[in-house]
Amino acid sequence: MKYKKMSTYSYNLHVIKTDKFKTVTVKVNFKRKLVKNEITYRNMIINTLCESTLEYPTKRLMTIATENLYDLYYKGMNYISGKYNIMSFDVTFLNEEYTEKGMLDKSIKFLSDIIFKPNIEKNKTKIKFKEENFNLAYNLLKDNIISSKENPDNYSRIRMLENMEPNSFLSYRSCGYLEDLEKLDSLKLYKYYESILNSDIIDIFVIGNVNERHIKKVIEENFSSIKTFKKPSESHFIRPKKVRFIPKTIKEKQKINQSKLVLGYKIDKMTDFELRYVLNVYSYILGGGPDSKLFKTVREKNSLCYYISSVGQPLNSILTISSGINKSDFKKSLTLIKREVYNMKKGKFTDEDIIKAKITYINSLKELEDSPQSLLSLYSGMEYLKSDDIDTRFNMINKVTKEDVIKLSSKIHLDTVYLLEGD
Amino acid sequence: MKKSKLEKLDLDLYEEQLDNGLKIYIIPKENVNGIYATFSTKFGSINNEFMPADGKKMIKVPLGVAHFLEHKMFEQENNNDPFTFYSERGCDANANTSNYKTTYLFSGANSFNENINYLLDYVQSPYFTDENVEKEKGIIEQEIKMYDDEPFFRLYDGIIYNSFIKHPIKYPIAGTVDDVYSITKDDLYTCYNTFYHPSNMFLVITGNVDPKETIELIKINQEDKKFDDFKPIKLKKYDEPNKVEKAIEKVNMDIEIPKIGIGYKIDCSGIDKNINDIKTYLSILLDLKLGSTSTLNELLKAQNLITHDIDITLINTDKHILVILIIETNEIDKVLNKVENELKNIEITEEDFERKKKVRKSNCIYRSDSIYSINNKIMNNIMNYGSVILNDYKKIDDLNIKDMNKIIKKINLNNKTVYIINKS
Repeated sequence: MKYKKMSTYSYNLHVIKTDKFKTVTVKVNFKRKLVKNEITYRNMIINTLCESTLEYPTKRLMTIATENLYDLYYKGMNYISGKYNIMSFDVTFLNEEYTEKGMLDKSIKFLSDIIFKPNIEKNKTKIKFKEENFNLAYNLLKDNIISSKENPDNYSRIRMLENMEPNSFLSYRSCGYLEDLEKLDSLKLYKYYESILNSDIIDIFVIGNVNERHIKKVIEENFSSIKTFKKPSESHFIRPKKVRFIPKTIKEKQKINQSKLVLGYKIDKMTDFELRYVLNVYSYILGGGPDSKLFKTVREKNSLCYYISSVGQPLNSILTISSGINKSDFKKSLTLIKREVYNMKKGKFTDEDIIKAKITYINSLKELEDSPQSLLSLYSGMEYLKSDDIDTRFNMINKVTKEDVIKLSSKIHLDTVYLLEGD
Repeated sequence: MKKSKLEKLDLDLYEEQLDNGLKIYIIPKENVNGIYATFSTKFGSINNEFMPADGKKMIKVPLGVAHFLEHKMFEQENNNDPFTFYSERGCDANANTSNYKTTYLFSGANSFNENINYLLDYVQSPYFTDENVEKEKGIIEQEIKMYDDEPFFRLYDGIIYNSFIKHPIKYPIAGTVDDVYSITKDDLYTCYNTFYHPSNMFLVITGNVDPKETIELIKINQEDKKFDDFKPIKLKKYDEPNKVEKAIEKVNMDIEIPKIGIGYKIDCSGIDKNINDIKTYLSILLDLKLGSTSTLNELLKAQNLITHDIDITLINTDKHILVILIIETNEIDKVLNKVENELKNIEITEEDFERKKKVRKSNCIYRSDSIYSINNKIMNNIMNYGSVILNDYKKIDDLNIKDMNKIIKKINLNNKTVYIINKS
């Protein structure tokens, strides 16, 4: 495997050359500082651009085209990365060795057409997305926004964050908001689209068994419409606001069978080493899997739940614990969870626990090389979050000691308890 | 050890059957770090009426036993915990139960020899006590309740329940909360002794392994263990009628967009083909008529009747295929009508048919990059055909529009059930 970063005036091209996969993936990321109402705009851009192109004016024709390209797979996605909002478009297709000559160029052109050749209508001096396509994108996003409540698990996590720090980056919903959507029209959205092409920070990633020179040429040909000048990026990491002295408890009701319990912890000023490595070990021991403290106590010993886990979010300096329980077991579950978190502070875990966490981390690093998607996220993490490369990570994770984990434990404070209460 | 090629996929298959009946399938992949191993018994949620290994007459155990047993395999004597074992080696362990089989699995890049021995050892040493069986009931109750809150699971379960009359595929895999509370330690041992004989099980290993060494290792592991002689398991046969149990049901849930499920129960006994091949033809057909490249899909979206593609799933018994369509819409009657009309006069073009074949062939190659997808393919082949399909490519090439048209003529879409979830 060989990694090369090539810079142009307007974007970075990252090529990961490897003969491990029968596929090639090309991913284009557009990044800018997070602004609440723009989350909705960016989702609309994705839906609209993925709905049609000039050449294929409906989604049906677009999909037929992908099938003729040996089932090329494309998608657009918007996600929040700390202080930044990243919108990405990617295609995955079979290496020409398994299809026919010319497919690589055609597939990359397909991606470039999605981004740069939208189905537009011109009216005198005004340009906008074709109204029919805008409406289809609108209906889809509207349904996605209003149905987010239908997944109680996910919904309870969002509501916990919104209660923990309303109006802060970490509580923003990545699918967007109805009130922002209602203010949009096709003309406004097109203006926003132009601003993306002119001012976002752009990175293009390619992974597969490709010829570097050829890929560079094809990308240059297809991405010449990017007019932006490269700007330096700030850190993505967020420092949380003050921790509450007395944790806030919120209960909301929904007509469901199982109640959802979500606990939000804030973490004080983590060092770089803590947020990249120690937090990982801490969270693995506390609630990382079926061998964790929370799983053993709350599920196995007390039969209170089917699932329980903790997840550290280094970007936002928080840790969340979530589980599904009977409403009547709320107090008991809360007490048991708090005790396990307290035990971590008191150092009530063994060196074996640390070793297990490290081996698991190291194994997942090894398996990371087995899939193009995980390699892409590795390299985008190195670009955006200044994450270490694989070799450095092997070394660093091994340096984590029990004392490090205990020290981090003392920085972790319960802030918000959220219960989505069922029947 | 038999070696064969998986055509066009740059992969080899190694097969071996041990003296105790256990079948082993290995597909090495040297260019990855990971290894994925699955150990399955042909015992699923539908096998609750059978002749036990040590009995003389047919018995019936509570629904949900296969799934309950799967949970309890993770409880071993002397607090030996499989999750801890795999976690100590930085590997993942898990298990799952479907209608037809139960699978125990691990994945990871480390300590393969220890891992595979341990997998065989823990699955082959059941330890069920009254106490540990009792303890599991609350956990499974929460698992069932979690799925009950998911509208899409409710739709699938509702459609399947209302489609079948006698066949136990009707019931949810985990059973109901009441079923779960009625399960005893003895039920688990009866099922274990009947269905967990090596002759009824198979191992599939994909990833960075040496096939010869691995088979030796498994042989040595199995040689030390004693098993009774295997008698073929007598399972109850069900004479499932063609009609559905209930034509329509409406429920309310705390949701934002109403949802419908439509189930078409199709009798395949008059079609001279393996039911899994009929399923392939039907899924191409439905994809063309209702999927993302269909004119109906385009029309429904343009009229804002749907915003997401219609979800199409096919399940089957030995005699019936059940086509399940899941649709989110605020205009239930309009959408139902349009779907009905679309399926009245079915015609498809050769060009469309050939394009879908191309998609299927491409997917074979996509899947061959992942040790998880390859493993699943092998398991599905064994369950559906009794052996591994070595030439998927050719199998797809052989699909033809003539056979498709014959099938279209024979299928009857009149046995239908509709399940509606409205906003409460």
